[in-house]
Amino acid sequence: MADSGAAAPKPSSSVKLVLLGEAAVGKSSLVMRFVNNDFQENKEPTIGAAFLTQKCNLPTRTIKFEIWDTAGQERFASLAPMYYRNAQAALVVYDITKPSSLTKAQHWVAELHRQASPGIVIALVGNKADLAAEAAAGDELGDDATEDTDAAPGAEGEEDADADNADQRRVATKTAKAYAEEEGLLFFETSAKTGKNVAEVFTAIANAIPEASLKGPRGAAGGQSSLGRQEDARVNLGSVRPEGAKEGCAC
Amino acid sequence: MFNLSNLVQKAQQFIEPALPLAVPASNDQRPSKAALFRHQFRLPDSQSPLQEITAELTLSPHHSTRSSSSESTTGEKERGQGNHYVGKLHLSEQYLCFSTQGSSFLHSASLTSSSSFTGQTHGAGPAGNGFTLPLCAIRRVERLHSQSYMFALAITTWNGTPDSKAKKTAPSGQKLTIQLAGSRQQCERFCDALKRGLREGIKDVENLRAVVAECYSEYLLIDDKDEAAKEREHPDTGLGMIFRYPGNARKLRDATKIRLWKEYLRENGRSVTLVRQPTFHKLIRVGLPNRLRGEIWELTSGSFFLRLEKPSLYTETLAKFSGRNSLAIDEIEKDLNRSLPEYPGFQSEEGIGRLRRVLTAYSWTNESVGYCQAMNIVVAALLIYMSESQAFFLLSILCDRLLPGYYATTMYGTLLDQRVFESLVEKTMPILWDHLVKSDVQLSVVSLPWFLSLYINSMPLIFAFRVLDVFFLEGPKVLFQIGLAILRINGEELLDATDDGTFISVLKSYFSRLDESAHPRSDNPKLRAVTRFQELMVVAFKEFAGITQNTISEQRAKHKDAVLANIESFTKRTSIRNLGPESKRLSVDDLGFLYDKFYAVLYERQQRAEILEQEAERKAKAERTKASAIFAPSSGDNVQRGRVALGPSPTEMDYDAFREFLAGIAKWAITDSPSSPEQENSQPSHSYFGNSNRNRPSTSPWGSGPEPADHEFMRRLFRQWDVDMTDALSLQNVVTGFAQVKGTKDIMSNISYFFELYDDDGDGRVDREGILRISEALLFLSRRGVSQSGSPAASTTDVNSGDHAEKGNPDEQFLSSVSAFIRRCFEYADPDHPSHRGDHALDSATKDMDNFAIGEDDEDEDLISLSAPTSPAPTQNKDLQTSSEDHTPLSPHDSIKSAKAKAANLALDPNKPLYITLPTFRMVILADEVLEHFFEVGFSSSFRLASTSPPSHSSTASNLTTFSNAGKHAAGSTAGGLGGVVGGAGAGVVPPSKGLRGMLDNIVSDGMRVAAEVKRRMDEAQKEMDREARQGRDDEDEDDEPSPAKDADLLEGAETADVETAGKDRLPEADLLVLTGSGSAGGGRKRSASDASRKVLEFER
Repeated sequence: MADSGAAAPKPSSSVKLVLLGEAAVGKSSLVMRFVNNDFQENKEPTIGAAFLTQKCNLPTRTIKFEIWDTAGQERFASLAPMYYRNAQAALVVYDITKPSSLTKAQHWVAELHRQASPGIVIALVGNKADLAAEAAAGDELGDDATEDTDAAPGAEGEEDADADNADQRRVATKTAKAYAEEEGLLFFETSAKTGKNVAEVFTAIANAIPEASLKGPRGAAGGQSSLGRQEDARVNLGSVRPEGAKEGCAC
Repeated sequence: MFNLSNLVQKAQQFIEPALPLAVPASNDQRPSKAALFRHQFRLPDSQSPLQEITAELTLSPHHSTRSSSSESTTGEKERGQGNHYVGKLHLSEQYLCFSTQGSSFLHSASLTSSSSFTGQTHGAGPAGNGFTLPLCAIRRVERLHSQSYMFALAITTWNGTPDSKAKKTAPSGQKLTIQLAGSRQQCERFCDALKRGLREGIKDVENLRAVVAECYSEYLLIDDKDEAAKEREHPDTGLGMIFRYPGNARKLRDATKIRLWKEYLRENGRSVTLVRQPTFHKLIRVGLPNRLRGEIWELTSGSFFLRLEKPSLYTETLAKFSGRNSLAIDEIEKDLNRSLPEYPGFQSEEGIGRLRRVLTAYSWTNESVGYCQAMNIVVAALLIYMSESQAFFLLSILCDRLLPGYYATTMYGTLLDQRVFESLVEKTMPILWDHLVKSDVQLSVVSLPWFLSLYINSMPLIFAFRVLDVFFLEGPKVLFQIGLAILRINGEELLDATDDGTFISVLKSYFSRLDESAHPRSDNPKLRAVTRFQELMVVAFKEFAGITQNTISEQRAKHKDAVLANIESFTKRTSIRNLGPESKRLSVDDLGFLYDKFYAVLYERQQRAEILEQEAERKAKAERTKASAIFAPSSGDNVQRGRVALGPSPTEMDYDAFREFLAGIAKWAITDSPSSPEQENSQPSHSYFGNSNRNRPSTSPWGSGPEPADHEFMRRLFRQWDVDMTDALSLQNVVTGFAQVKGTKDIMSNISYFFELYDDDGDGRVDREGILRISEALLFLSRRGVSQSGSPAASTTDVNSGDHAEKGNPDEQFLSSVSAFIRRCFEYADPDHPSHRGDHALDSATKDMDNFAIGEDDEDEDLISLSAPTSPAPTQNKDLQTSSEDHTPLSPHDSIKSAKAKAANLALDPNKPLYITLPTFRMVILADEVLEHFFEVGFSSSFRLASTSPPSHSSTASNLTTFSNAGKHAAGSTAGGLGGVVGGAGAGVVPPSKGLRGMLDNIVSDGMRVAAEVKRRMDEAQKEMDREARQGRDDEDEDDEPSPAKDADLLEGAETADVETAGKDRLPEADLLVLTGSGSAGGGRKRSASDASRKVLEFER
């Protein structure tokens, strides 16, 4: 788990990360867990987006996540481009007890692929794993974290067997995982409530960010303004920035 | 609102110029003026300015002395001999309003600098000094004798509750003296109107009494010396009564504020009768006292007047929808526990219950907004200071007037105001702006929540409420002023911030220190005492005094289109991406094109419907008397409804819209006989038309685009694409449909697709009638190749003169191809085996019938009826019969039966039902080069999408307009006679579909010839058949030479129709009759063909 190892001599770079997903899938809770290691049942809904930061220590470097936690209500979707703009990483969250939330997540992935910075690292996260039946959740989550593909089918069977148990899972791990692989996404099932896999998600993202696209603390990246601010950048990010732009301002 | 006049103009283009629909320039001004008036005085939408006159308001000195019971009152303005305000007096249906002009108040207290926020504000600004007085609150009006010729009125208001009337101490109502400055005539007119209004107002007194009784001010003022009144129940002033108001009351100097307000209210009237003087504005600027806050918010925002209008709307709404569920309610439930959770009231069931009820009630009254996150926070804040009902109405005012579009499903208002805010920052703080741009910090990520939740979750509550105090009085510009001031004050630090994170944390820490001294190191103790919040207010209202409501409106108007366009492109992008795998068969450009077309059609249709509706409304209103009690909804504000970015808009198109849609995409879908009202009348029974009829009172409903045709083929397409059987197509349906048509280059699948369109029961067979329909559809699709000369309505200008020379040939080619198609179809079609051809027709009809009955359970009925009637009436009779259906309602079965019966007569032995299968169909198509080409290219390219170059005109398939030449002749000559039938076709309009029908006739007769031949080869089993065959030949002869002779036939044709109708049920005899008339039927056939839609009707039945 990341801590505020402020004086770390390791090179430090900041990464803009945006959370997207349907309302009430637990985006804010995930962030809360990651940033404060805390869980609140009743969190004020996010208006627009909340901004938080947290450091993540890797063996070779420190990543400072600048986290944009967006509002999930459908009508806020049109505001999202303003938050994912320039993001280097995205957490697309769905709720494993709600199939519709996976569909929504897929839409977000498509949106990001097309509109966000090229090379953005996307993680697909099925939250509320604590609501899945114990056995299924237990086996699978551990395995997924270590990217073990074989575990999925087995777990699936188990899950079916437990279906009438207290298992509220409605999205099979296999389904989501297959989709994630197809799209080249990181994939995790997490529980913000128990803390399961939360830190792992962020660590995996930190590791996945290509070295080249890392910039120093944002202050040094002032030259980035060459990207310009189109009049309508807020909503329409139609102009895809050239791949080189990012590297250009690495320092 | 903003480009209303543009819209109206645009709208007018949609409507045919000849329409009586007058949306004259004068008309488009009116709603906006009324809106300005309503906004200025915060009046409900039911009010409109009836009278207006310059006047001088004198607050009588007597008034101030009379209130000597509290002689401590030394409000500076009262020191004189009363105050004089020059301004405008307005009269609406239920209100008398007065407001000073901007110039009347240049001197003013330092903090307020009222000149900037009083006076004329063009819309939503504060109403300046003056009053907004419901007529029912006026107790009496006297005309004063005055010097000069001036009219002077003394108005005594209804002030005080009834039970205080008896007490001599209770003020018997304040007196306002108003001098009218105008010609005698004007004054009299005003007074007359006022008199009428007062009379009407009497009936509202009950409402007034009820509403006013809930006002804290009444309670506050009464308990002075009045023992009885002290027992009055304390009005509900929000959760704060139970859970304490936020902040430290002593620190907020609540008691002092209450005292000051008490004085002010005593002298200047309370609740409805309140007169706004400069002190009023000042008292609000320093912050409202807790218990009075709700009431003043209500008054200054105008939600009070809404409540006065419908005092029980809140409870009624709750009762009406109790137990119902909705998406909004689900969303509300999710957020109830997380709305101002730090306030104790919202940790209790009481508070949460109130919040739930208010949000729910609002979501029902405005379903298009429903519920938006952030509303929960705003309402929670309101509920601390007001009752549920008060909060409900204030929320309505917020959503509808103060924050338009903020909470809409696309949140366009929020985005628009962010854009406005950015441009104001750019203008007022260019250095900071440059810095933001340079460091790529997006301002709205910070400022958006400020606006969306009115600073409530950005600042500590007590300060946010101070902002709200001013916001409700002065309008939305306050949000901008505060926002600019925040940036100005933090400017230096922000210039050091180079990323979003720092930017946000600078402001966060600023907000958390608002209660600290703004100048902690100053030597001047007074300066040290100024808090950061006070500094903020001063900067906001002094330094940014130049930001007026006018500025905001202008900026909004300037950026509106861009913002809406952005939202729309976002929506488009998203929705195209989410269309599913089928859509991948079309190019992105095509999808974009379809998306645009789809929504453009829906949007335009809605616009037209709305304008017509408005017009009707306007007329209705004009017809009514000038009675003052008219409630006219402000429809003018809603003209843009339906634009995607503005919120929920229709997402499905009915059949009519689909036709319009197709007409914009495919040439063949444009009608040949524009705007014949008779076309509508002939189909009153159809559900699709039930819909559209409402849209077209006496007018072409097609707007600026070409009027679409209504061909059976289009209906088939519609039904094929309507996979959910909802009688409506979503974009998804349309795209999937197009993906099937255009998404493949494979001729085989195109052929199969076409075949399936006509395979009604999905059994892989198309019967005789179907074959004819297919051939007709082929002609329909290809009838408009090059020139449109015959059709004045057609706006397409794709005359390709290059092809002119060879025009005739391809047309003829196609024609003969189609006739060959029919011939071959009949040749190869067979119930069971290919061997069952005409030669073997000796097999009796009954045998065939048996075959069918056994093989095709589901077709039993039709088939039996097919074989039963079997008398050879030429096809045209089918049409005759259809056209006559206007007067003869038939059961669907009859109609199908007879239709099929007629159709059966067309070609082969009618006793012998037949069908073709897909392989046969395919074979027949492939056997003909022209048709093959059509299915390979022509059909799918007849839909012109983005990436499709206009269909090559030289392609054989689409180059067939010369039909019209053949038909036109006949058609032209018959046009006169057709007048009655075609009706609205208008002078000189020749329905060019005559051409089509002419060609079809030829084809049909071609088929007839085949039939005749086949029949002759038959064993002449029945005499009747012989006769038929002969008859068929007769017919063919006639058809071969389309000549002026048809003129005469027409009338006879009409007769035939009658005969036909009469005899329809008794089939055998009827057919005989028809036979005798069949010679003339050719003309009749033409007539009915001019109106292809009839066939569709028949088919549908």
